[in-house]
Amino acid sequence: MTKPILIVGGGPAGLAAAHALARVGQSSVLVEKADRLGGAPILSGYAKLVPSGEWAKDAIGGMVDRVVKDPLVEVHTGAKVAGFSGSPGAFSVQVSDGRSIEVGAAILATGFTHFDSVNKPEWGFGTFPDVVTTTQVEQMISSGKGVRCPSDGRKPKRVAILLCVGSRDRQIGREWCSKICCTVSANMAMEIREELPDCHVYIYYMDIRTFGLYETKYYWKSQEEFKVKYIKARIAEVTSDGEKLVVKGEDTLVKRPITIPFDMVVHAIGMDPNVENATIASTFGVDLEKHGYIGRGNAYGNTAETSRPGVFVAGAATGPETIDDSIAQGHAAALAALGFLQPQRASA
Amino acid sequence: MPIHEVSLIRPENLQTHEQLVVDGVDVSGHWSTFIQSRAITDYNEAMQDEIAALPGGENVHRCWQCGSCTNSCTVNAINPDFNPRYWIYLIRLGMESEILRDKEIIWQCVSCNKCTYACPRDVVPEGVMKALSHWMELKGHVPKSPSMVFDEVFSEQVFARGKIEEGRVMQRFFKRTGQDLRQPWLIEMVKRMLRHLPVTMLTKLGLATFVAPSTSGWSRARAAIEEYVHEQEHNRRRALGLDGLIEAARRDAGPAAAGEGARS
Repeated sequence: MTKPILIVGGGPAGLAAAHALARVGQSSVLVEKADRLGGAPILSGYAKLVPSGEWAKDAIGGMVDRVVKDPLVEVHTGAKVAGFSGSPGAFSVQVSDGRSIEVGAAILATGFTHFDSVNKPEWGFGTFPDVVTTTQVEQMISSGKGVRCPSDGRKPKRVAILLCVGSRDRQIGREWCSKICCTVSANMAMEIREELPDCHVYIYYMDIRTFGLYETKYYWKSQEEFKVKYIKARIAEVTSDGEKLVVKGEDTLVKRPITIPFDMVVHAIGMDPNVENATIASTFGVDLEKHGYIGRGNAYGNTAETSRPGVFVAGAATGPETIDDSIAQGHAAALAALGFLQPQRASA
Repeated sequence: MPIHEVSLIRPENLQTHEQLVVDGVDVSGHWSTFIQSRAITDYNEAMQDEIAALPGGENVHRCWQCGSCTNSCTVNAINPDFNPRYWIYLIRLGMESEILRDKEIIWQCVSCNKCTYACPRDVVPEGVMKALSHWMELKGHVPKSPSMVFDEVFSEQVFARGKIEEGRVMQRFFKRTGQDLRQPWLIEMVKRMLRHLPVTMLTKLGLATFVAPSTSGWSRARAAIEEYVHEQEHNRRRALGLDGLIEAARRDAGPAAAGEGARS
């Protein structure tokens, strides 16, 4: 029996890795800092997921259940890895709850941190209660309460979704595209229109990146079936006239300034590197890439490798990632770690 | 894409003051030229649905502004101000005042349909142009075009009798467009017809002008057509909020409600 494999992070990637390892009889130790498993989709209360349309609590909740019930997975919630030493095949892990565990390899599935909109004060988050984030709207939908203006609980008549909040913005040191916000926003716009047919939804964009098959399922569908309106404009500021939010910017296609009232403004927030990545990098002795995500050691030969042999990475820890790709990467990292621990094949 | 600032300044938005005092400060002079704000302060959310309710405009909401229509446009090649992509965008956002700036050129679409085949989203821009022209007429922004008047005169006769009588079409068309029927070329044509056509044909023509015969058994067809046309017109007027406007105008015409118009 080989030593267990350490998995750090209990989101989609970590859950997928734990399940994949258990399926082939490999034990693992799953360390999660939150008090429950599931990662962002569960902890942040996402509603229906892209692209399946399944509720997060069902889809990701199912992944949690099968891992929790699996005797080959030892779960530590509310715990962090405090120390990591040794060499490939014989690492020693100090868990914050005081336990010490011997593992053969480690998979970092440490995910991301949602961008904090307070860092773009000109767009009104934190100043006006009806300026919210996509995460908050997800929670409004998943709680069953529906999309309402936080200030007074009224149903909004007009909603603006601002894309690229915390993405593609050199001013705040976030040069990456967060990849999923366009699709999530198009999906959210349709959900709002479905719940509130009298509510008009406008999406302010710089580019629309509903990549791959999301094009028709989200971008086209939102325009063609749900009459969501897309306006090419980077908003300058969100203020208030005392009653409504006032969105200012320039409609670049008309070459005219905009000063338009809205009931609710939604920030399509991006995916930051996990705020603890500096600690994670020093604990595990892995390099970060230039944006602050965990760096991949290899682009083609083995995509799950980090700069340190025996330490693998999967999911949004490596950069903005979709849930389904995070799951695939969790599987890939599980196979990479498993292969790494087979000495007779290691040099082949 | 750079913004061409110069194009933002329009002559009608320039205000020049020979004599001007602002907050007690005399700022008179040639340099005191002011540019009025052109900020968009609202979207008319009904406009897209109004255009979509007219024949040809059904797919306007699909547009994603790639510009294929304008790039392929026959008229745009001659007049760069003829820009279907731009108007479709304005329709979608409901920027009526901006559209009406171009009301003198929108009708110039020659229906070559190159845009129809270039459009990746199957918006059918040619149809949208047609719907937009129709919209401007229905809303009273532009007078009915002579060709629209001709179509009406022609179809009214077809609906009424199942056939047309050319003399009557001409007569009514000239009358409705305010043109004198005694056009020299028309007088000359009638003279020559009288001189050269066989007597039997002239008699038939003359009779038809006065008697106006119908296609046999036309009354049932007429009832069906009239019902359909009435329904279509009613739907369009309702979609464009025109019946509501008439009602509002009636209300306002009452003794108590005189004054400001019914703006919603």
